Amino acid sequence: MKLLSSNQPSMATTPADSPDRSIDDFAEQMNEAEKNKYTKGRKLGEGTYANVYLGTLKSDPTKLVAIKKIKIQTDYKEGMAPDAIRELKHLQELSHPNIISLLSVFSSKDQNLNLVLEFLPLGDLEMLIKDTKNIRYGAGDIKAWMGMLSRGIYFCHANFVLHRDIKPNNLLIADDGEVKLADFGLARSFADPYRPMTSNVITRWYRPPELLFGTQHYSGAVDIWSVGLVFAELVLRMPYIAGDTEVHQVNLLTQAVGTPTEENWPGVSKLPAYTVPLPHTPVREKDYYNQMFGTAGIVGVDLLMQMLVLDPSKRITAKEVLNHDWWYTDPKPTRNKNLPRKGGGEEAVVADLKRRPGVVEDERTAKIARKLDFGNMA
Amino acid sequence: MNSLAMSRLNINSKHGEDPSNDICPVCKSNRYLNPSLQFLINPECYHKMCSTCVDRIFTSGPAACPVPHCGKTLRKKGFHKAFFESLSIEREVDIRRKVASVFNRRQEEFESLRLFNDYLEDVENLVFDLVEGRGKVRQAAEKKLEQYRLGNMKEIEENERTEKEEAEMEKLRETNQKEAARRRRLANQQEELEEKAVVAKAARDTLEQLANDEGHAEEITKRAERIILKGAGPRRRQFEKPVEANGSADGSLTIRGLKKKEAPTKDMPYDPFGGLNVAPTKYVLQKDYESQWLAGVKKNENNHLTGGYSLPEYYGRAMFEAFSGLSVFIEDEKEADPKQSPSAAVATEAAVLAVGVMMEIDDVF
Repeated sequence: MKLLSSNQPSMATTPADSPDRSIDDFAEQMNEAEKNKYTKGRKLGEGTYANVYLGTLKSDPTKLVAIKKIKIQTDYKEGMAPDAIRELKHLQELSHPNIISLLSVFSSKDQNLNLVLEFLPLGDLEMLIKDTKNIRYGAGDIKAWMGMLSRGIYFCHANFVLHRDIKPNNLLIADDGEVKLADFGLARSFADPYRPMTSNVITRWYRPPELLFGTQHYSGAVDIWSVGLVFAELVLRMPYIAGDTEVHQVNLLTQAVGTPTEENWPGVSKLPAYTVPLPHTPVREKDYYNQMFGTAGIVGVDLLMQMLVLDPSKRITAKEVLNHDWWYTDPKPTRNKNLPRKGGGEEAVVADLKRRPGVVEDERTAKIARKLDFGNMA
Repeated sequence: MNSLAMSRLNINSKHGEDPSNDICPVCKSNRYLNPSLQFLINPECYHKMCSTCVDRIFTSGPAACPVPHCGKTLRKKGFHKAFFESLSIEREVDIRRKVASVFNRRQEEFESLRLFNDYLEDVENLVFDLVEGRGKVRQAAEKKLEQYRLGNMKEIEENERTEKEEAEMEKLRETNQKEAARRRRLANQQEELEEKAVVAKAARDTLEQLANDEGHAEEITKRAERIILKGAGPRRRQFEKPVEANGSADGSLTIRGLKKKEAPTKDMPYDPFGGLNVAPTKYVLQKDYESQWLAGVKKNENNHLTGGYSLPEYYGRAMFEAFSGLSVFIEDEKEADPKQSPSAAVATEAAVLAVGVMMEIDDVF
């Protein structure tokens, strides 16, 4: 943890970490200094996982920040909540225009962890997708948003981080229109061979088939599937595969994309949770996609199809996505300042930040507790 | 007496008893003789003359202004009726109009309100020079105006177009609003009529029931009331909804209409990577590496490959970690720049090292 504090955004450690008395004091001082850089403003909102406050820089009160104060969680009495650690650990390493920036971290008196994040005032992509009445956008706008999302994901993967919770409401919009990947509460770095990872990640609607089938060894391909579904959702303006339960999700997935079988995905039937509904649906052809996602254009549909390949080893990678022809075909991606936007204001920001990672929040699931299975991790 | 005289004087001056308003300074014809006397001015020199004089002097082509010592060449086309009684105001308004059509920058084009206000002040100074200035000052101001016009022709035209578009948008919005209001009114009327019909019908039914049924009279009347109330609720709500929708739709329309086109920036070709290049510089990443340890993965043990586990990703990370921090000498950088805190490069490398350390404690999750 000592190394942590020498990192680029100066991080303060929690005092409890170091046994040595003098270092303890030093850490305490650093924490205090970090804390005093910001003025905590009014509370913007409260969630189950965190409270969000509007903050300002003491040296320049016009600079706004969002301070996400992680609540002490009853499930994790010893130490900090894993969500918070994941978010902190990866955000502090990743500095990219399409990833929300973590400005600082400090602990406040009751050992609450406070993450100081960039304040992104214009809501998220989900709000724009859902507001079919007031917001209209076209192929150029979709391309611009997808471009920013793909850059963000490529940067994560290039730095060996899996995001594992890509969905429209985790894609926040800065006041210049830039889309930023947020909520790293489920992120982790690429696993070593033979080291299992949990398959219970990624919000259900955006979860790829390999995770639904319970694989414990996967790659960046899981994020690409989510990106593909965000793409589809941007075109359709509603979630493409929105299952109520995991079984339902698999059923819808086979209808929408095709049934994963030994022919199109060798070895799939040996995955732990492989069950598919009968009769099998053949994998959807180009015509089907062209009809459904015509707005994206033929080249765009080609990219979408490559993102939604069932077999993860044949799925397009983040780098290949950025090398695709779609970015160079007409229409050009819209400039950020001309992108449609919504005066979402701070409520949306708050809603985004205080949400728990990895869950679909609607009436149906609102009461079901989130289940993250850390038990089977060796 | 005195005050009465004063007030009369005031009235007189208001009504323009001033002889210049009734006698043409050029031909001396009188309003008394010619009731339809109409004065025209030319913004070249703002000398006033009657329409007959204008016809007489300028019909055959441009000629000099008949007012002594003026000597400006005027054309008939330039004459118009003065809008303001005071010609100095008329002139100032004309000048302002001309300046505004050239200096039509918009607030959005400026980085801050402060800069925009500075610009407005400059323009106002220029207007003052044009209106009040004499001789050289005025000439200089005129020259400035012309220079600016020539220098910024394209932007001026663009802003003009934007303004026009905005005006049209505003008009459209207004008509939309009026239309919505009209529809609301109609819906309201319809609503009232329907409600009346329901009440009338209920009353009729009650009477009929009272006549035919042997049920309790009070109960029947109560039931009828309930029916009326039940009907009114949903109908009212139904009608309130679209109003709300209209309101917000209008709101977004204005926002879209106000969207500004800024001065065109250079059209750079789109770079999907956004200038990011993470290709390793110290080594070349191979497609495959021989390793006893990876044999199990290659044999698809535990469904590694089926689940999508990517060896190239692993190779990339392993190589990156093996080489990270190499050829970075923190000591050198400290000596070169002793006062400043470690440079960004050092910090990044430190971060890289930290990643390595944290990988070890990764097992917890």
